Amino acid sequence: MKHPPFPALKLPLLLVLVALLLALLGALWSRGQAQDAAQALQLQNSALNGARQQLDRSRQQQQLIATHLAAYQALAARGFVGAEDRLAWIEAAQQANRDAGLYGLDYRLTPRTSSLSALAQGLPLGQTTMTLTLPLLVETDLMRFLAALKARAPGVYRLQGCALSRLNDAKFASANQPQLQAECELQWFTVAEHTVAAKKGGRP
Amino acid sequence: MILNRRLILLATPRQIGVLDWRPGHMHWLGEFTHSAKGLADFRQMVIKHAGLPILLVADTVDEDYRSEVLPHVKGRARDELLSRKLKQVFRNARFLGAWRQERETTGRRDDRYLLAAFADADWLTPWLSVLHRERVPLSGITPLALACQYLLDRLRVHEPHTLLVFRLSHGLRLSYYQNGLLRFSRLIGGDTPTQLPGNAADDIAKTQLYLTGQRILPREARLHVLLFDPSGQLDSAQAQLNADPAFSTRLLDIPSLARALRIPDDFLLATPQIAPLAAIAGEALQLNLAPPELLQHHTEFRWRRALHAAAAGIALLGLGVTAAYWLSAQDMNAQAQQLSQQQQQLDRRHRAIAQTFPAQAAAPEQLAQTVTLARQLDARQPDIHALLAVIGQALQTAPEIVLENLSWTDNTLTAAGVVQLTLDAAVTPFDGNYRAAMQRIERFMHTLQAVPAVEAVSLRSSPVNADSNSTLSGKTFDANPDAAPDARFSLSLTYRESGRREVRP
Repeated sequence: MKHPPFPALKLPLLLVLVALLLALLGALWSRGQAQDAAQALQLQNSALNGARQQLDRSRQQQQLIATHLAAYQALAARGFVGAEDRLAWIEAAQQANRDAGLYGLDYRLTPRTSSLSALAQGLPLGQTTMTLTLPLLVETDLMRFLAALKARAPGVYRLQGCALSRLNDAKFASANQPQLQAECELQWFTVAEHTVAAKKGGRP
Repeated sequence: MILNRRLILLATPRQIGVLDWRPGHMHWLGEFTHSAKGLADFRQMVIKHAGLPILLVADTVDEDYRSEVLPHVKGRARDELLSRKLKQVFRNARFLGAWRQERETTGRRDDRYLLAAFADADWLTPWLSVLHRERVPLSGITPLALACQYLLDRLRVHEPHTLLVFRLSHGLRLSYYQNGLLRFSRLIGGDTPTQLPGNAADDIAKTQLYLTGQRILPREARLHVLLFDPSGQLDSAQAQLNADPAFSTRLLDIPSLARALRIPDDFLLATPQIAPLAAIAGEALQLNLAPPELLQHHTEFRWRRALHAAAAGIALLGLGVTAAYWLSAQDMNAQAQQLSQQQQQLDRRHRAIAQTFPAQAAAPEQLAQTVTLARQLDARQPDIHALLAVIGQALQTAPEIVLENLSWTDNTLTAAGVVQLTLDAAVTPFDGNYRAAMQRIERFMHTLQAVPAVEAVSLRSSPVNADSNSTLSGKTFDANPDAAPDARFSLSLTYRESGRREVRP
């Protein structure tokens, strides 16, 4: 068998080639099938993990809603969520002034600005500065006014600061006319509802 | 097993018998006489079994054996050496061959060969012509004596000097084996007077003398004689031979032979000539007397079979790999299907939960964040009442200090977390004694500093600037205090409510 008789072996050689070809084709085809199946399995695995995470997230969200929905709706009713209700703020200041029995006040509202990101924590938090100038008879009038405003305030605000000064450079003394003037600065906070609503679109 | 199927021919000058053999099975196809009809029937038989390899075992009187010791060489040198030796010994014989039986253990360690040939084998030509015409893969031609050697193996005969006496219809064959290897054989034809038991014993004795004379058999060796004769005519020769101490004779019976060959007794009894054929059928051929041109078809057959086996192996391998991959793919598909069902279940549960979410509300995270932020912003703001009380109490301890302006800024939402106050006041009455005024102011600052909620008190501006780097001008005053200017100063306070936690975003 040192020298194969090739002329007599054409058919067997062809058979070997065909077998080799078929084996290769079969192996390649099935390998492709296996690779596709492995890829599909991997994708399906990822999808399943995604579904698990989605379900966990929805449960957490359900818990969040159950915990915070009532408070959120109350905030929305107070005007913290949504567009600014400046008229309500002015009305609250006027009403507090009347409740405290004071002598009127001047107000000034600045345009709404975005709050510092450290405070907003990613929310579309805006703030509007309201400056109130009101004459006082005694210092305690300011306390009464602030207490009345807290009771009347429809939204969320913080008293940023006040400056008490004497009117007409008069000495602090009791009199029937206001001798003091207070200039207070309030920050009204609102969360823009349209942005929140836009983000609702991203909810699963 | 089917791949090992082959035909074993037992050829004699008168006829040719055919055994269809495969491991564990054999079938005697009959005998074909050396005639035109016999050749035609033989040809039909060959056509019917086309594709099967054939081994031809020849039983002829015209055979010659020669034992030779030749130098140990390999490869082409050995082929050329043997070719020359065979031509030298057998000259014009067509069927000849050499078998390297063993190697000497001493001296040059030469090789011991058995050279064999059919001196006159013209009677084989018609049969071989049929095989050649039908392109039968003839694997070899070998003498019957070699087939009988395998018969001894099957019988587990281990005597060093054995003479097998085998009677068939056409004659009596005597074959000598040394240590189980064929050394010499002769056939006494059926037309010779060997029918008598005494003649058979004489022939065996003559053969022993010949072997001794040729120094094939050592003089002192005792010859172990095995007699096999299905007709029983050699039975009486056993006693005659055993009377001579140079012989040790034993009769082979059909049952023991059939048991050794693993064939039925009746089959062996009906066709005793198949015994050596069955013995050699599954063995590799060691002594092949066929010329190379007659083996061409078998060479092709072997290549063809090897290629077919390779093709089958490749196909099986491919099938195995394909099946393994396919099964793996099916397994992974099933797993993916299972995972898909699990995912659908999770999705359904997620949708069921999501349907409970209020449609008008913000995203749950933003909702919670909004509520938390509002609570932070709504958290307790500095108590202004307490803050003013601190200032008021300090002023009560210092009636000469008159408050003019007071302002504060809530920084509790910042990192500082404190309330910054600015206090503008004046020392009244002021008689122009700045030293005394400064002492009062310092006492007032100490009073404020003593309050726990006040973290720091600093003087922003004083009634007089005594700094060496600035210009200081003024005038002294008389005793009328109304004419003196006010001793105004400004303080800065850092206020932190006691126990108050910073509200930081």
